Formats: sequence, C-alpha cells, structure tokens
Amino acid sequence: MREHVIVVDLGYGDAGKGTVVDWLCAREPVQAVVRFNGGGQAAHNVVLPDGRHHTFAQFGSGTLRGVPTHLSRFMVVDPLALTAEAAHLCELGVPDPFGLLTVDRDALLATPYHVAAGRARELARAADRHGSCGMGVGETMAYALAHPELAPTAGDCESPARLARKLHALRETLEVTGPPVDDCVAAYRAFAERVILVDSSFTTALLRRRPVVFEGAQGVLLDEWHGFHPYTTWSTTTFANALTLLDGAGAVRLGVLRTHTPRHGPGPLVTEDPAIEVTEAHNGTGPWQGPFRVGHFDAVAHRYALAVAGGADALALTHLDAPVSRMCVSYDLGELPVGTAGDLDRQARLTDRLRTARPRYADGVDDWPAAVTEALGIPVCLGSSGPAAADKVLFTRAGPGLRPGNRSTGPNPGGVITHERV
Amino acid sequence: MGSGIWSTDVYSAAASYRAAKGTSAFAYSDGGARTVHPDLDPLGVTIRESRDSAEHPNTLAVAVLFDVTGSMGGVPRTLQTKLPDLLGLLLRKGYATDPQILFGAIGDATCDRAPLQVGQFESDNRMDEHLGKILLEGGGGGQRTESYELAMYFMAKHTAIDCFEKRGRRGYLFIIGDEMPYPKVKRREVGKVVGDRLRQDIPTKEIIAELTRMYDVYYILPAGASYAGDDQMLSAWRALLGQNVLELDDLDAVCEIIALTVGLGEDAIGLREGLDDLDELGSSAGAAVGRALAKLDRGTLVVADDLGLGGKSGVIRL
Repeated sequence: MREHVIVVDLGYGDAGKGTVVDWLCAREPVQAVVRFNGGGQAAHNVVLPDGRHHTFAQFGSGTLRGVPTHLSRFMVVDPLALTAEAAHLCELGVPDPFGLLTVDRDALLATPYHVAAGRARELARAADRHGSCGMGVGETMAYALAHPELAPTAGDCESPARLARKLHALRETLEVTGPPVDDCVAAYRAFAERVILVDSSFTTALLRRRPVVFEGAQGVLLDEWHGFHPYTTWSTTTFANALTLLDGAGAVRLGVLRTHTPRHGPGPLVTEDPAIEVTEAHNGTGPWQGPFRVGHFDAVAHRYALAVAGGADALALTHLDAPVSRMCVSYDLGELPVGTAGDLDRQARLTDRLRTARPRYADGVDDWPAAVTEALGIPVCLGSSGPAAADKVLFTRAGPGLRPGNRSTGPNPGGVITHERV
Repeated sequence: MGSGIWSTDVYSAAASYRAAKGTSAFAYSDGGARTVHPDLDPLGVTIRESRDSAEHPNTLAVAVLFDVTGSMGGVPRTLQTKLPDLLGLLLRKGYATDPQILFGAIGDATCDRAPLQVGQFESDNRMDEHLGKILLEGGGGGQRTESYELAMYFMAKHTAIDCFEKRGRRGYLFIIGDEMPYPKVKRREVGKVVGDRLRQDIPTKEIIAELTRMYDVYYILPAGASYAGDDQMLSAWRALLGQNVLELDDLDAVCEIIALTVGLGEDAIGLREGLDDLDELGSSAGAAVGRALAKLDRGTLVVADDLGLGGKSGVIRL
C-alpha cells in the first residue's frame, strides 16, 4: 500500500472502521493514523489475534501495531479521557501510548463544562433525545461556533493564564458547575507537557511520509449537514475533512459497511428488525446514546450516504459471517434526494418522510460482496468475517491502492473476484 | 454512534499525566541513560550523508546541533518539542524541495560523558527518533566554553552532502548554544570521541574555514540560556561567523528562524514574505524572527567563507 487511505463509515457508525484500520496497519508500515472528525465519543473496537481488545476513542486504531496517531485540527480533543484510554493501552502492552501521539494545537478542547452542559441539554429533551454520547463533543462544537475567540484549544493548554481565562468564560456562559477551573488548568497543563503539540504544518510533513491512514469517526448518515436531523452528530463525517487535510494529495476513499445496517441510539432506521440475530461483543446499550439497534442492509440509505459523501473508490464489507440474507433494495418512496449542505429544516423533513418509508427487500442474498457491489456500484475490495485482521479477505478486483503490491499488476481482466487470505 | 467509555475525571487525569514520566521526546535520557546512544555515537563513524534518491532528487542538507549542557537550562527540552515542526515548515512553503535534516547535541569533551552526539540526515520522522535518543548531559565545565569546535570538526570531516557535491549548493548548519568554542580542535579529544588519529591540534578558525566551504554555518544564541545576550559570547562568535550570529529572544520561534533562514538562503523568499508566511501559518513567532533575521535580509546571504585567511572580521559577501 503506497497510497493514503481514508476510512469512512457509510452508515450510522459501528460498521467496523477500527478493525479495517487495524488491518491496514498490520499489512505494511503505515506512517500514522490521522483522526479528522469527532472526538472522545468514538468507539472503534480492535481485537488482536491473541485476543487483546481495546475500544479506541481518541487513539488511532493502529496503536496496537505501534502506529502513531495524529489528532488533526478537526478533532475535538478530550485530554481527560485520553489518560484513561492510554492507561488501558499500557495494560495491553503499549509501552508509551503518549509517545505515539501528536495533537494539532488548533484542535478544540472538550472540557467537563461542555460535558455538563451537553448532558443537561440532552436530559431536557426527555423522550426526544438525539442520542448524544454524553461526552460534550456537540456542545464543544456549538460553543466554538458561537464564541470562536473563547473556545479553548489544545494549544491553550500551553498557556495556563489564557486557558484559565477561557475556562472561566466557558463555565459562566454555559451556566454549569463542575470542577474548579484551577484543577482543570493543572490537568491540561500536564497534558501539554506530556503530549507533543504541533502546528498545522506537521500534517503536510506527515503526508510526505506516505502512507497515512485517515480514520473517520461515526458514520456519513450521522453527518451534521446531511444526516437525518436532528439525530446527527456535530461533526462532518464524510471524506471532506480528510480531503481538506490532504490538500490535493491523492488518497483512496474507502467506505466501510456491514452486511446489515446497525444504529446506536434513536433516529431513523428504516429496515430495523429486532429478529436479526447478530452477536455484538462490544456494542451494548449506552447510558447516554441508548440501545444498539439492527436492521437489514439498507442499500437506499447507503446510496444516499455515497451521494452526500461525493462517492468512494472502494468498499470494505464486515460481518460476512453474520446469518443475514435480506437486503433492502428500494423504498416505496424512491431514492433519497441530496439537499444543500446546512439546510437543516429540509433534513428534518427528510427525517419525517423516513418515518413512513417502506423498505422493499430482496431475499436469499448469499454472495454479499457481489450483491453490495451491484447495489451500490462501488467494488467491495475487502471482506471481514471476524474482529481480527486475520479474518479479512482481500478481493483483488479492488482499486490500485488496496491491491497487494506483490500480486496482480493490473485490473483483473476477467472480472473474477479472487480471494487472498491475509 | 460511539460511546464514552473512558473516564473523564479531571483529578485522575492530572495524576496520570504527572505519573507518566518525563516527555516522550527525551525518552532515552529520561529513561536513566548515562551514555551516548549507539545510533548517535560519533566514534568510528566514517560519514553521515545526505544523498539524493528517486523519491528525493533535489536534497538540501540541514543540520541542527544544540548545546545540551547545564548552562542551557530548559532550552534543549523546548527545542525538542519545537524541532519536529521544522521539516513541515520547510516543505509547506517550498523553502526547500527535499530537505534532509540531521540533529545532534554538543557537550564538553573536557569533562562530559556525551561530548558529541550526531544523528543521521533523514527525510522523514526518523530524525525525531534521533532527537529522542539524545542524552541531555546537563553538566558542562563552567568555563564558558563547550566543545563546539569538536562538533564542527565532525561536520567538516565526516559528512557528505549531495547538494554540495552534485550541485555546488551549500547545506545549512545551525548551532544553538550559549557558550564559546575552545580555540583548538584537540588531537586527543578527536581520537577519543571520533576515533581519528590527528598529528596535531587544529585551530578552530581553520576547521571553520573548511566547514564553511560545504555549509552556511549559523550560531543561534537563544533566550533562556545562561549567557543569553552576553557581549563577550556574541563577539567571539561574530569573529568566527560574522553576521551569521543570531540572537533569538523567543525560543518557541526556533523552527521558524531556521526555516526562514533557509528560505532566505535559498532565495525562496524575502524576509517580509517569510514573515507573512508565518502569519498565514498562524505562528506568533513573526516578531522575534523578524528581529533576529533583520540583518540577513539582503537578498543574498553573508557567509564566513574567507575565515582563517586574515581580515578583521573574516566576513565576505557572496
């Protein structure tokens, strides 16, 4: 793999970005995993062949392979949660997790005050909860939009006086309690002394040392502008941020999907069917975002995701071992139209229409990679039938970036999908 | 849609950062090491080289050696957190096409365990690894002199750079420190530290004359070091390097000053343009860099090409 790869979930999240990133990092040396959206609320599960498991939130999913993580300026960084995650990584045998981490000084800081305000807001919604993870990520983004000059950034952790000023203002504006500002400043200062903070030029240098894997968080169907409002995240979940960081450098856009379509928390899930029997080792009911739900593979919703994301070059399909054989190929109300980014009223109307949408199914699907390739018009290049990298199968029809370098040198002429055990 | 499974307790986080010992950057030093890391040991090294390759056809050698003795205070640690940005700065604005960077450290050969540490020219993050392997000596002799001349001897005799050999373009050598070199490269120290057998000592001026054929050599005296702003120190270096002696009053700006000096030297920019670049990058270093570099903004650079051949300042203009 010589090219950069952007890994994005084309559903509602939980499709297996973590395991795909781990696989990419296991194959060939990767310079770094770059996070380009979301924050500490991500939960990407990675299982090593020896059974070691970690739920990646801010560290990149290549960490267990020793691959460094860069948190770009598009990230919402939570230094407090970072220590807990680092401690677990240490337990798993990563000698110095912080030594593998660089953070852009411009990345926004999620603080206990954002968390408190975000949770209060979600509680006030009572039965109309949006499915927040309770980590204050949305609140951090909202505050930064409303008060761009006052929003604390990772770089502020190097300047205790400036940080304290911003934190006091934050606490006052959001009208929340929480730990004293001084205690927070002490913790953030320790963070700045321990973790390497860098300027945006770092990304440019990093990209010259190819390849880099961009690890997306959440899913395109939760996108702040194109998701089904209001059940969305305050984050651009498409390829857009990664493409901005790439600044014209080439990359393979890899979309990740499951053989069925899950959703964590409330919001539209047209093909929902509690009867689907899939084992979910690492996804349960979250105290904030609510239950884990499953539906049949929703080609209509995933085609919509592809459309709003501007397409993809290849797909990775996980859960090939799940006992599912039904695919939603269309809705009674037709395809979902793509609107202008930012028109949230329109997105809310779209959400309303989805409440009455009736899925039309094709049954008896057994060759999932072929069926998904057909339904979405993008080749499935990677199949996964288990949590570990060894459970991945590479289909060599894939785009040039993911084709094994020592094997085929051109497109598979017969169009026959061949398997390579990795 | 993810979850918040990792604790966000502010008190355990603070304790945890405190418990995580030292900075990863000087991991080797902070790990209790007391001798030079084998990768950086100059003893027996034939040559450190900066070479063109298919991927990097137009290399430019940039070496940064800094004093790690006690008089430098917290300066080396700050340098460590800033220097990884250097490559990005050089590339981002096109100051150099294929920069290759070498990091090294200078101590005192009369009394230190690590009088000289030299990494390798790298185009990628391996240079950061070298930075992490530098032993922070923290000692020094207290005579206002350190073994800068030994470092310059090594750079003159034991480096080979394609930018010079193939294209006749000098590389850049930045020495960051706050004391003076000894007047002579001592035969005995060279034997012990580098492993070369010299017949006699070499005057420091002579080694600088040889070195400046291959490199534009700059000396940076940063704020925060013991002898910052010291006139004797500054005039001693000016006698050796002419106007290529820079005072830097904001240590955080060290990468910017190096990058802009290279940009000016490569005729990639003028000073005004470079300072605009810094603004654009959101760097607050502009003022400090502007003050430090004002005298270099002449369109062409001043180098100490003619040293050791007489003349009061030994400075000529290219």
